[in-house]
Amino acid sequence: MSEIKIHPLTRVEGHGEVIIEVEGGEVKDVKFAVLAVRGFEKFVQGRPAEEVPYIVSRICGICQTAHHLAACKAVDGCFDVEPPEGGHKIRWLMHLGNMIHSHALHFYFLAAPDYVIGPDADPLRRNVVQIAKENPELGKIAIELRRFGQDIVEATGGKAIHPVAGIPGGVSAPVDEEDRDELFNRAEEMVERAYEGAQAGIEAIRETLEEYREKHDLDLLETLGNIETYHMGLVADGNRHEFYDGEVRVVDPEGNEFTRFQPDEYLDVIAERSIEYSYVKHPYLKEVGYPDGIYRVGPGARLNVCEEMKTDRAQELYEEYVDEFGECVNYSLTINWARVIELVAACEEAKMLLEDDVITEEDECKEDYEPQEGDGVGIVEAPRGTLIHHYKTDEEGRVTEANLIVATTHNVPAIEMALRDAAKKLEDELVKLAE
Amino acid sequence: MGKATVATAQLSSCVGCHVSLLDLHERLLDLLEDAIDLQYCYVVLDQKEIPEEIDVALIEGSIRNEEDLEVAEELREAAEVVVAVGTCACFGGVHGLANLYDREELLKWVYEESHSTDDEGEVPSEVVPKLFEYVRPLGEVIDVDYMVPGCPPKPDAIAEIVTALLEDREPELPRTNLCEECPREKEDKPIEEIKFRTGQGRPDPDKCLLEQGYPCLGPATRAGCEAACPSRGLPCRGCNGPTEEAVDQGAAFLDALASVSFEADVDVEELLEGLVDLPGRLYMFSLASSILKGHRDVIGGK
Repeated sequence: MSEIKIHPLTRVEGHGEVIIEVEGGEVKDVKFAVLAVRGFEKFVQGRPAEEVPYIVSRICGICQTAHHLAACKAVDGCFDVEPPEGGHKIRWLMHLGNMIHSHALHFYFLAAPDYVIGPDADPLRRNVVQIAKENPELGKIAIELRRFGQDIVEATGGKAIHPVAGIPGGVSAPVDEEDRDELFNRAEEMVERAYEGAQAGIEAIRETLEEYREKHDLDLLETLGNIETYHMGLVADGNRHEFYDGEVRVVDPEGNEFTRFQPDEYLDVIAERSIEYSYVKHPYLKEVGYPDGIYRVGPGARLNVCEEMKTDRAQELYEEYVDEFGECVNYSLTINWARVIELVAACEEAKMLLEDDVITEEDECKEDYEPQEGDGVGIVEAPRGTLIHHYKTDEEGRVTEANLIVATTHNVPAIEMALRDAAKKLEDELVKLAE
Repeated sequence: MGKATVATAQLSSCVGCHVSLLDLHERLLDLLEDAIDLQYCYVVLDQKEIPEEIDVALIEGSIRNEEDLEVAEELREAAEVVVAVGTCACFGGVHGLANLYDREELLKWVYEESHSTDDEGEVPSEVVPKLFEYVRPLGEVIDVDYMVPGCPPKPDAIAEIVTALLEDREPELPRTNLCEECPREKEDKPIEEIKFRTGQGRPDPDKCLLEQGYPCLGPATRAGCEAACPSRGLPCRGCNGPTEEAVDQGAAFLDALASVSFEADVDVEELLEGLVDLPGRLYMFSLASSILKGHRDVIGGK
């Protein structure tokens, strides 16, 4: 048997490896191994729960805010306290700021080099630095959007990377009025920039697909990760697209509702299987079992579980997307298309919240809390998908048990499934490569 | 002078230090245009091999597993100058708290016992790099030439170290404690009681949080974040790690408490009770580099 190893995986956060096993002229197996674990679920035990949102943001330096806020919600549950309107909206705005930064980073810095520079380009040139050189206008959009997102998180959370303001019952301080005004003044332009960027991004994706059809007679959409899975994501007000707060909806590969549940019911729906060759467990739908109950989360899944967007420009782009691919999309290469639509949505929603004076009011930002024995689950949509934090506390308010299902974790089995599918479709090439 | 060749790496950490580097925005593009030749940086570049020779290695993260150690040693071999970027590389970071627990116990919780884990799987043992018994800061396994702590360090601090190396001068980095940059006023009065938990109550906006009875680690923590937490009414949790002079952040904090409260009639036991979680409070970010290091048996918090 011979192996093709792809290591390290690049233009991602985190340590991973892909192993393709070839034997007797066939692809035998493909493994996607995640190579790092730090054990947050263990070492938050014993810590005062109000410190946990501050500790767990360090799970991910890109989507720290999502971890910070999912933990805040879970600790609210443990201590039985609810943020007032201002605290709720400041947290929500913080979340959107992070979504804007992360989606801009993910699309323009991590993914776009494949579309703009091209998958066949010299790997040494296939990066964001080259995009900034070859397409300065797009480079500028990428930087401006990221800066806007990071500035929102700093104004609401106190720090752009690892925000600090989230506490049980709300946030520790309101948004400074000057900061609010300054951000609001930029918001409209940012919506425009996100929209322009989305159109340019969608065009680049289309061109890449077209080029492959012409040059290599290869349908990339069908070849790379067209897999049938369930899809999961938050929805609110019926089945409207939601980033921050709502109930979780799961649809089957055809888009029919499979189930919907409240955050504190997640254990009835989801289980995880430990895998001998990877530090990330494989989640699945309990009722369906493993591996048939594999599902996806993230921008593509969120557009699959919702029936409409919250805001106008995003709705317009969403309708085009549905016209092109249908109501439930099982491709993988469309995920970045969905991501740029969501980037517009996040900018529009942030603008809406920046207009609201309640985020600047001192006595609206938190409710007093008392540490107590409790149990709480917090769910938000992190940029890369549904994020679940679950804690139990003792009577001193110290964490006794912790369980986290992180956005990319939900996707890991589907990523592996997509890799296996693609390896089968490209078997001849891979066998040659392995020999 | 030609450009300096640079490699970056992330060991066990969150990649936040790399994101902070990206938060230089246009200035990063200018640096890349004029001054540095980025040759290896898995987060944004596709290069998969660490170059054999480079001028500067910027390393984020601590030593948690065998792969961390291999990458650190390979970069030390290749680089003229090694910079430990961020609190994980400098002091072990927040996951140094895992040193309070037995490694097998930790793996058992994550892969067998936690709520959503089913009964079919087992602790991973193939392909994945083995975890060491303890988390260690970078400086414990290779020689480190400069340290830029912070969780993450401000983009300016990262730009400063790179620029200083290019200009062949000593970098100007924060060295004092957090109180020096905190806008709150100290009255230098004895600390009699820690009576609030983080975020509780309505602290006076202008006065020292420690003196108001909040568990603020500012006196024992290095400056560099513009006192982000105290500025928003929250006690410092120590994420920049200890100051340059202090060997041990927790000991430095107890020392600071004792020095202002020495002559007052303070019940020390009661004072420490208010900290609720002693090892977590004193060493949230620096347990791996403290004098306690991995001695779980002597740490009361287990």
